[in-house]
Amino acid sequence: MKTSRRDFLKSGLAVAATVSAGQFSRLLAADTPAAQPLLIAVRDGSRTAMLERALAELGGIGKFVRPGQTVLIKPNIGWDVPPERAGNTHPEVVGRLVALCREAGAKSVSVFDHTCDQWQRCYATSGIGPAVTAAGGVMVNGDDRAMYRRVDIPRGVKLREAEVHSLVLDSDVYFNVPVLKHHSGSSMTAAMKNLMGVVWDRRFYHSNDLHQCIADFATFKAPTLNILDAYHPMVRNGPRGRSETDVVELRSLLASADMVALDTAAARMLGQDPAAIRHIPLAAELKVGTMDLDAVEIRRIKLA
Amino acid sequence: MRRSPLKPVRLAIAVVVLAGFTAALLDFRGLVPARVAHWLAAVQFTPSLLALGSSLAAGLVLLVILGVTLAFGRVYCSTVCPLGLLQDGIARLAAWLRPRRRSLPPAKPSHWLRYGMLVACVLTIAGGAASIAYAHADPYSIFGRIFSGIFRPLVVAANNGLVAPAQGLGQQWLYRVTTPWPGLGVLLPAGLALMVVAVLVLWRGRLYCNTLCPVGTVLGLLARHAAFRLTIDQSVCSKCTECLRSCKAQCLDLRTSRIDASRCVACYNCIAACADHGIAYRFAWTRPKAPQPATSVVALEPDRQRRALLAGALLLAPAVTLRAAESALPALVVGPRPPASPPGSLNVRRFVDRCTACQLCVSTCPTQVLQPAFLEYGFEGLAKPHLDFNRAFCNYDCRRCGEVCPNGAITLLSLAEKRLSSVGVAKFDQKRCIVDKDGTDCAACSEHCPTKAVFTVPFRTNLRLPKVNEELCIGCGACEYACPVRPVRAITVAARAEHAFAREPYDPPVAKPTTGDFAF
Repeated sequence: MKTSRRDFLKSGLAVAATVSAGQFSRLLAADTPAAQPLLIAVRDGSRTAMLERALAELGGIGKFVRPGQTVLIKPNIGWDVPPERAGNTHPEVVGRLVALCREAGAKSVSVFDHTCDQWQRCYATSGIGPAVTAAGGVMVNGDDRAMYRRVDIPRGVKLREAEVHSLVLDSDVYFNVPVLKHHSGSSMTAAMKNLMGVVWDRRFYHSNDLHQCIADFATFKAPTLNILDAYHPMVRNGPRGRSETDVVELRSLLASADMVALDTAAARMLGQDPAAIRHIPLAAELKVGTMDLDAVEIRRIKLA
Repeated sequence: MRRSPLKPVRLAIAVVVLAGFTAALLDFRGLVPARVAHWLAAVQFTPSLLALGSSLAAGLVLLVILGVTLAFGRVYCSTVCPLGLLQDGIARLAAWLRPRRRSLPPAKPSHWLRYGMLVACVLTIAGGAASIAYAHADPYSIFGRIFSGIFRPLVVAANNGLVAPAQGLGQQWLYRVTTPWPGLGVLLPAGLALMVVAVLVLWRGRLYCNTLCPVGTVLGLLARHAAFRLTIDQSVCSKCTECLRSCKAQCLDLRTSRIDASRCVACYNCIAACADHGIAYRFAWTRPKAPQPATSVVALEPDRQRRALLAGALLLAPAVTLRAAESALPALVVGPRPPASPPGSLNVRRFVDRCTACQLCVSTCPTQVLQPAFLEYGFEGLAKPHLDFNRAFCNYDCRRCGEVCPNGAITLLSLAEKRLSSVGVAKFDQKRCIVDKDGTDCAACSEHCPTKAVFTVPFRTNLRLPKVNEELCIGCGACEYACPVRPVRAITVAARAEHAFAREPYDPPVAKPTTGDFAF
């Protein structure tokens, strides 16, 4: 396939936007007309191959991580379940990403989640703890309130302030690495829902319009990049799942700096109507991103 | 003559045992293997006594304890019993803080007190309040409450205080955990016991072990007749009184050159102290010759011996028949909301009878859902663990309480059984639920439910309302813990007095995706 000059320029702009999203997202949102969002969709490879291909499409890990920077990776490690149950992001994805960040010269790579089940058990059983440590990252306690700081969420409707883990506030690079799942409360969990795990008080969300709060927090600090593990999504009994039969093999991985676009595509993968998963349209209304996939440059890549 | 290795060996064992117990009961990071914690406790006197009916190993342990005592005296009290070792520790600390050497004069045994305590225990047990006697007279359980209820919170607080400086130095190894401030249920008995034990040990050495401790008294009854007893060789004794100064049980009398084997805790201090090598184990099951050789036993009149043995038998009998008696006991009287007992405890009545509130499971519970009760189980359940869903919920794939429990109060279920073991049933109150009340999604309960006994159904426009399938519910409390509604939650667990097994969930296979293409 030949790449036209226009395509090349477009994707270049998108990469630039993606790269700078971490620190300058607010500036961009305020001053420049948003570049066309880019969504990388990979299928039919191993988890690590799909991850590496998605990053390569975006210009490589070096576009996101500069030597000496501090990196936070926020997977979903909510549950004390093994990788094959798909209740958590797969450890191979997280481990490989940690290794890539280290190779890119990251000063530190921290990983945490504010888990639902007991956190040490989640870190161990998910396989993420061992994988991260082996790859040279550090597992950080997400269950320690002293590590959270109260911040304002000026664009929030219901969630106007929250206690947020200091790693989110202080890290140079912030990767959101959710797993795609059915969810009994919010219908689906993907990129935006995963960010509930960097906030201390989840109970506030639940008692103050869950979907609105999820959308509100998405306005706070956009992750540098969102990488969705959809290798074998859980399609029922989510978010914890009940057995290995709850998953189907889709062998997919999505990556985008636009959480709304990514969640819109993710909902379609679960066969759900994105508009019915209220936090997606609510976040679009708050200009977190776009639900209009026609306005998104989607690169569909099949590895097999 | 070679120095006797008895004291160094005794000391080495004691240090290992005390260090092991300290680690197991203060372990707030789950570092001590459950097997280690279990066996440290399972080789104790009372736990093995209580587990007699259900465990062959417990019978063996008890036989060994009694056998060793009958052979060599109260070796148990200075090597294995953690409360004895704690007293030695307190005495050493006091000696280190105030080095003025102080020796205790020999004293007469307090027969009334020690046999009185023993008889009181036996009567309490025979009278149907075994659950109180075992829990509050057992030295191991007293030790457990002191360490878990008083020392563990302090250690955790100290750990938490060190986290910031450690992280300042770039160390990630330390992390904060929630400080387990003790409730009154454990603080009252543990605080009282610590005070009594500390005062007695500073005042008169191992007085506690020779008066208030019924285990010490029972073992003393055997030790009195031990085959080998510590004896003073009068032919070499220069009456230098070094042995006397070293004796913490006040059982060594140089005027008569006798050591009272019923009170001697076999610490071997006197052996180590004797420069003349005049104190050693000697075979004592010989016919007394006239004139009397250097003997050790304060002879008892025969009828007192008989009484004492009778008391011992009485102590054993109800323990052996405990299981049979359980079904005959009246239902437990409990407060407005009956507590859920740990999975594996089978039945709340049985659990309260057997549990000695040693806090080993409380200390080791990874989620800390196990908390010592105050009066939730009634007075006899003081400090015995219940599931506190305000604090946490029971981890679906964990059975650590059953793994550590030394006496079978919490039976060890297989993981498959544990996942179905139902200690209560979730009750949903739709009127309180946010989904109905506010018209917004929530389902925190269903989200946390490991069996999907709590699931959601479509409700009004585009909402999901929780529902409970009681057949699948195991009462783990995840739903109650997660429910954001206050002050009264919209979903709560009603405890089962008699545990049950939930139905195993069944999931039909899901439809495979029909396309190999992207869905967008």
